[in-house]
Amino acid sequence: MTGSPDRGPDAGAGPPPAAPSAAPGPASRALTPWLERGGAPWLGLAGVAAAGAAWYVVFPSSLSLGIGLLLLAGWASAWDLLGGWTGQTSLGHAAFVGLGAYVVGVTATKYGLAPWWSVLLAMALAAVLAFLWGRITFGLRGSYFVLSSIAVAEILRLIAINERKLTGGAIGLFIFDLDRPFGLDLFSRHTEFWLALGYLLLVLATTLLVTRGKLGYQMRAVREDEASAQAAGINPVSVKSLAFMLSAALTALGGCIYGIFLSALQPQPLFELHLSVRIALVAIIGGRGTLFGPLIGAAMLTLAGELFRNAFAEANLLIYGLLIVIVVLFVPRGLMGELRRRAVRRRYAKSAGG
Amino acid sequence: MEWLAPFLQNLTGGLLIGGIYALIGVGLSLIFGVMRIINFAHGEFVAVGMYTAIVLFQRLGMDPYVALLVAAPLGFVLGAALQRVVLHRLIDAPADSTLLATLGLALVLSNVLFLIFGAEPKSIYLPYATATVTLGGVRLPVAQLIAGAITLVVIVGLWLILTRTEVGRAVRATAQNRLGAELVGIDTPRIHALVFGIGMALAMCAGVILAPLLFAVPTVGSSYTLKAFVVTVLGGLGSVPGAIGGGLLLGVVEFLGASYLSSGYRDAYGLFAFLLILLLRPEGLFGRTVKRV
Repeated sequence: MTGSPDRGPDAGAGPPPAAPSAAPGPASRALTPWLERGGAPWLGLAGVAAAGAAWYVVFPSSLSLGIGLLLLAGWASAWDLLGGWTGQTSLGHAAFVGLGAYVVGVTATKYGLAPWWSVLLAMALAAVLAFLWGRITFGLRGSYFVLSSIAVAEILRLIAINERKLTGGAIGLFIFDLDRPFGLDLFSRHTEFWLALGYLLLVLATTLLVTRGKLGYQMRAVREDEASAQAAGINPVSVKSLAFMLSAALTALGGCIYGIFLSALQPQPLFELHLSVRIALVAIIGGRGTLFGPLIGAAMLTLAGELFRNAFAEANLLIYGLLIVIVVLFVPRGLMGELRRRAVRRRYAKSAGG
Repeated sequence: MEWLAPFLQNLTGGLLIGGIYALIGVGLSLIFGVMRIINFAHGEFVAVGMYTAIVLFQRLGMDPYVALLVAAPLGFVLGAALQRVVLHRLIDAPADSTLLATLGLALVLSNVLFLIFGAEPKSIYLPYATATVTLGGVRLPVAQLIAGAITLVVIVGLWLILTRTEVGRAVRATAQNRLGAELVGIDTPRIHALVFGIGMALAMCAGVILAPLLFAVPTVGSSYTLKAFVVTVLGGLGSVPGAIGGGLLLGVVEFLGASYLSSGYRDAYGLFAFLLILLLRPEGLFGRTVKRV
């Protein structure tokens, strides 16, 4: 285990070394230093918001597709906090999606709880589940976490099928009625679209803030080399647990929106291994440990799925399978990761005067 | 003593199905032990075996137990080819990459099966296999008895190859230390191809044996991948005898849990056992030590 602790956080979205910026000038001249100090990702976020709004205006008939895409991108970005930035591949994130959806469904139909309370409850439950799950597996070296992630999601699916009184079993649970926060009709596709867009932006902003903070540097240190991170005084188990809890709570939040969107909850699509696999592969193909990689991956694979839907019918995961093999063999950093590596190399080549 | 007969019934049923789990788990464990790869496509190999048996039965009228003679070599060649074409390129890549590559293979295999055969369940009907034999108050279906016997033969055969032949010695050497094995002149890439071939052949044999016992659907693979993981973690990752013990144990746990607790959770008992093992004894029941952080 020869770690190189001096390997800089090159993979981060951290600000480049502060350029000696001039005194604050007029607004037009102040923009460039702001971008150089790390404002560019925020501009990207605004771009995502604008693109979402454009979708709403241009494709008013494909709002459902848009909601699916936004939610998948949000889940993949939340997955990336653990899978990309902290380096712990999870193939069980459907557990949190299902948990979120079912908490909203069960509390709304059985206890008449308002959706905003059930959302908070779902996020808290997801964080607790992630904490306990991390306690069991994060202390072990090797691939135990991946294996356990499938097992936990599968156990939750079996619980959803078998506890008929609570979850309606295999037939499912139907959400008939929900409170209207601020007079919004949560069953309208228009509201759900904006909610999903807001969710994606929230996840991206959280990722940006977290990865630029202390926790973000600790996460990357643990990803690169646990032994060196430990030598630097970082406790890998608690860093991984924190990242997992954050990722789980955000995924569950998306699951709540998804549950309202479906309004008929069934264990089969919600907790299925295929959903976990899609979330993980979208992030990996787009580029692990990059801010916009999971979003790019989700957009690409959703569109590819639409294009090939007639050719492959329900075998649409074939594309995921082929793409992940190609990515692992030839583009191991993922799309955004590869682009950023090239950009960084070009920048260094330029600064070296070559 | 009226509880004894049903208990023995469940125990033998569990042991017989556990033998098949062992056959699947042994291949996975062997692959992990030698190549350090967690093979996510292992259950899909089982599904490919089931469909091979079904095709041979429907097209050529071949008895599935004869089809073993076709499926095993076919599995060996396919497995060795997959190792050469895909996994060999990732030999020094991080563990995550090979895991994702096999996950991709699994998705490709199950979706190709779906495109060829469609979603409707298929099975093989063998008149003689549905008969039962009664032994001391325990009724045993013939198909399961044959399955148990074949499993025993295959595992003993593998054991003899690993412990009594020069190739087996080379496989064990590669598992212990790849660099060391190369230094004494072992062609480790060839050993890797051989081991992946053996693993796939074992999984396809298990699939062929399962074909008369249950219905095949293209998505059946992922549940066997999960069972194989449970089996290998129960027995200790990378340990071949451990996988045999783990397989038998999983079969018995599933049967006893389904009949004494709740049958809806049949698939969950193994998973609970798996999480308990991770919590209490991560090296597995029969394994060596695991590095902790």
